[in-house]
Amino acid sequence: MKHYIVSAIVAIALLGASSTALAASTIEMQVDGLVCAFCAQGIEKKLRAEGATADVFVSLERGLVAVALKPGQDITDAALGKLLTEAGYTLRTTKRTDAKLEELRAAPAEKK
Amino acid sequence: MRNYIALLALSCATPAAAKPIAFQNGVTMMAEYGAGTMLETQAFYAPQYWYSVGAGYLRLEDEDRTFTRDIPYARANLLVKRWNTPGAQANVFAYGGLGAARGSDFEGTELATNAGLQFDAESLRWYGSAKVDWQRSDEFDHRIDTAQLGIAPYKHDYNKLATWVVLQGRHYTGGLYDGIEAAVLLRFFRGPLWVEAGVTNDGYPQAMVMFNY
Repeated sequence: MKHYIVSAIVAIALLGASSTALAASTIEMQVDGLVCAFCAQGIEKKLRAEGATADVFVSLERGLVAVALKPGQDITDAALGKLLTEAGYTLRTTKRTDAKLEELRAAPAEKK
Repeated sequence: MRNYIALLALSCATPAAAKPIAFQNGVTMMAEYGAGTMLETQAFYAPQYWYSVGAGYLRLEDEDRTFTRDIPYARANLLVKRWNTPGAQANVFAYGGLGAARGSDFEGTELATNAGLQFDAESLRWYGSAKVDWQRSDEFDHRIDTAQLGIAPYKHDYNKLATWVVLQGRHYTGGLYDGIEAAVLLRFFRGPLWVEAGVTNDGYPQAMVMFNY
């Protein structure tokens, strides 16, 4: 009985995680080394060349690079890490969300 | 491979710039007017983020207006090392190339070598750089050392105008200028365009424009 309950919890958790991944339309990345417009320009150019990319937003103040994905498509974390390394920057974290790029563009930068 | 190219770049020998490599598959075009002593234009293409190749033209004139150098050249730039942190970046660049020099105080055209090293570090609020450029031929030997410190009065994002106040010190050898030439500069950039202008302690203008695409 105990095994059934544990299995059910694990299955529900996995289902939840996979449906979140499938539903994610945006990848938000914290990137190190973002200090100038040319940095943003290079990253934007590189990510826009990806087939799964619908739009790109870069915020220097927030150290944020966000990619809006085309419906049903994704870019793996490993591929994102490689793309950013090839652009000369360091990928710190990735997070898949449903945030619209318009919302991210409109969000104020945090005071540091 | 990168170390080998760095050694190759240094074994050749060149002049000044902001960052000689903007981004992968990017073209950098730059023009700088340095207080009547230096005029330089450059265009570079970067196949990778860590190196670029291109050409430039350098005109040097000493402060007493007794001689000039005109040097068209080809040059390679290498990003030797980059440090990325959450709010800052630092770089070491090396560059070198070959040119054909003409001068008002010697006959004909001389093979000229150029080489340089640059260290820079910046965040969205502060900036510092140190750079050494050499220009050599059988007829002359000039070195131009440049140090800059910059402060931005506000943090700038990608789509906003960035404003910097920059203090510069420059030292020339080979009879170009005696002592240290100081300058105060205002630097603006937004998107692909960078514009900088200021004045030296002798009252001469200094300006630079750079465009990346």
